[in-house]
Amino acid sequence: MTDVFADATKATGDAIIELIDVDKFFGEFQALKDINIIIGKKEVVVVIGPSGSGKSTLIRCINRLEKHDRGTIIVDGIELTDDIRNIQVVRRETGMVFQQFNLFPHLTVIDNITLAPRQVRREAKKEADENAMALLERVGIPEQARKYPGQLSGGQQQRVAIARSLAMRPKVMLFDEPTSALDPEMIKEVLDVMVELAQGGMTMIVVTHEMGFARQVADRVVFMADGQIVEVGPPEHFFLDPQEDRTKLFLSQIL
Amino acid sequence: MTVTPARPEDRMPLPTSAGRGVSEWARTHLFRTWYDTLLTLMFGVAFAGATVALIRFVGAADFTILRRNLALFMVGRFPRDQLWRPAVALILVGVFIGVMAAMTVGSAIAKAAESGIPMTRSTPWAVLRRFWPLVAVAAFILTLTRTIGPAVTVLATLGAGVGVFMAAARIPWRLLRRGWLLLLALLAVIYLVLAGGGVNWNGWGGLHLNLFLTVAGILFAFPLGLLLALGRRSSLPVVRWLSVSYIELIRGVPLITLLLLGAFALGFFLPAALSPGQVIRVLIAITLFEAAYIAEVVRGGLQSVPEGQVEAAQSVGMPPWKTMRLVVLPQALRNTIPAMVGQFISLYKDTSLVTVVGMFDVLRVSTAVNSQPDFLAKGLESVTLPFAALLFWVGSYVMSREARRLEKRLGVGER
Repeated sequence: MTDVFADATKATGDAIIELIDVDKFFGEFQALKDINIIIGKKEVVVVIGPSGSGKSTLIRCINRLEKHDRGTIIVDGIELTDDIRNIQVVRRETGMVFQQFNLFPHLTVIDNITLAPRQVRREAKKEADENAMALLERVGIPEQARKYPGQLSGGQQQRVAIARSLAMRPKVMLFDEPTSALDPEMIKEVLDVMVELAQGGMTMIVVTHEMGFARQVADRVVFMADGQIVEVGPPEHFFLDPQEDRTKLFLSQIL
Repeated sequence: MTVTPARPEDRMPLPTSAGRGVSEWARTHLFRTWYDTLLTLMFGVAFAGATVALIRFVGAADFTILRRNLALFMVGRFPRDQLWRPAVALILVGVFIGVMAAMTVGSAIAKAAESGIPMTRSTPWAVLRRFWPLVAVAAFILTLTRTIGPAVTVLATLGAGVGVFMAAARIPWRLLRRGWLLLLALLAVIYLVLAGGGVNWNGWGGLHLNLFLTVAGILFAFPLGLLLALGRRSSLPVVRWLSVSYIELIRGVPLITLLLLGAFALGFFLPAALSPGQVIRVLIAITLFEAAYIAEVVRGGLQSVPEGQVEAAQSVGMPPWKTMRLVVLPQALRNTIPAMVGQFISLYKDTSLVTVVGMFDVLRVSTAVNSQPDFLAKGLESVTLPFAALLFWVGSYVMSREARRLEKRLGVGER
C-alpha cells in the first residue's frame, strides 16, 4: 500500500471522497481493515477482488448503508457521523446501483425515477417527469416509461435503476456489481450506459468483475482481499505489471 | 374425476378449446375407467339426493317465523318508532359508497389516460353479477317483509348510491384520493350519531349490530393495528416493548373475556360520557382485540418486503418515514390482503359472541324467537338457524370475492 495518497487526486486535483483508517466489523468478523483511499472529482475507480473481500462493504459505507466502526469517511466535505441530517445529505449526493436492481415493483418506471426528486427535492411533477424522460432517453428506453419493472428485462431494469439514481443529480455514483445478476447478452447494454456516464465526467466507484470495463474507463483499479486494499494503480500498470503476489494470483485466476 | 394414468400413452390429450362437445368431455373426465365411472355415479347419486332434499326442505319450510320476526332479525329491539334512524343511516352509507366508487373509477380513468392503456369499464350487468349473492339475499329478505318500509329503504339506498355515483363521476377525484380515510371516518361518526343518537344504545341488535360491529371494528382496528406493527419494528426500545406487550397480552386472551371485561369493567375506567352504552363498550373490546391480530398480519407483510427496497429508497435520500409510507407499506399491505381478509371474515362471524354480554345479535335472535308462544318447541331452528347462517355466509363470501378481485388488480404474487 505504497502510494495511495500520492496517487489520490491525480484526476482533477480535488478530493471528493476520503476514507481514513476505516475499520468495519460484522460481529467478530472484520470486513474492512485499515482502509485508506482518497478519490478525486471525476475519477473512475474500479474495485475488484475475490468474493468476501469487502468490496461491497466498502462502497456501502460511503453512503452509510453500512456504518463503519472506526476511522473517518468524508464525502464532499461532509463527515459521516450518526447525525441523520448529514447522512441524508450524503445520500442525496451519492447515487447507488445495486446488483439486484431494487426497483420499486409497485411503481411504474417513470414513478420509480421521479419518486425521490418529488419527495426529497420537492420538484414539481411536470419538471420531474420531463427530467425522468430525458434520463430514460439517455439510458435508451424512453418507450418503457409507463411499464412496471416486472415487465422489463434485467438489462432494462438495471438501466432504469441507473436513471433513478441520476434523477437526484448525484455528484458520485456507486455501482455494486451492477452486471452480476444479468444474463450475458444484457451486460453490454448496461456497461455502455456506464461508459457513457464515465466519459461525461461522473465520479464513479464501481465494484465489478468486468475487467474489460476496468481497462477501458478506470482511472485507477483497486484490488481488495480480506478486507484490505492490497494494491492500487492505473489499469495499464495494474493489469500488465502487478506488484503484489495476491494480485498476480487473482489476475491469473480470472484472466 | 381424472386419475393418474397407468401408462404414459394413456395420458389425456391436452384440453383444446371448445368444439369437442360435452360427451367427449364427459367421457375423458367422468367415465374414463370403470372406477372413474363408479365414483362418478356414487357422487352423482349423493349430489342429486342432497339437491332434492334441499329443494323439498326449502319448499316445505314455513317462513312464517321469519316473516313475523323479520324486524328482530334485522335490527333487534331497536325502538320501532325510531327505525327511520338506521334507515336514513343506510341511505347515507349508499351515498358514501357512491362517492367512493366514483373516486375509484375516476382515478382509474385518470391513470388510464396517463398511461395510454385503455380501461375496460364494467357495465351495470357486470356489477350485478359481481354482487349477485348480496342481491339474491336482499331480494329474498324483501319477499319476507310485510310493510313497505324496508323495500323503500333499500330502493332509496340504491338510488342514492347510483345517483351520487353518476353525479360525482364528473368531478376530478384525483385531488381527493387521500380523502378516502377521512371520508370513512366521517361516515363512521355520522353513522353513530344518526343511527344511535338519542336512542337507547342497549337496544341495538340483529344483523344491524353484527354489520355495524364488523365495519366499525375494521375501521378502528386497522389504523391501530398498523401503528402497533410499526411500533413493533421501531428502533425505540420503549415503543417496541409496549407494542410487543400489548400484542402478546391481547392475543393471549379470548375475545369473550374481553367482551365481558368491556361490558362489565370498562365503566370503572372510562368516564360515563365515553361509554354511553353497551354497543360502544363492545366495539372498544372488539377494536382492541382485532388490532393485535391485524398488527401481526401487517408485521408479516412488512417482513415480506426485501431489505433491498429500503436500501434503494435510502440511497436516493428518502427519509425513513417516507420510505415506510411510499415504498414499504404499499408492498407490505398488498401482500397482506389474503390474511387480512381472513381476519375480517372471522371478525364478522365473531361478532355473534356479543350474546355473552346480553346483546341480541342475529344469531341470538334466531334461537330466541323459537321461545315465542306461537313457535315454541316446533323445531323451527331448522328454519331460523339456516337463515342466520345465510346472512353470515353472504357477507363473508362477498368479502372473499372482492378481496380476490383486489388481489388480481394489484397483481399480488407477481413482482
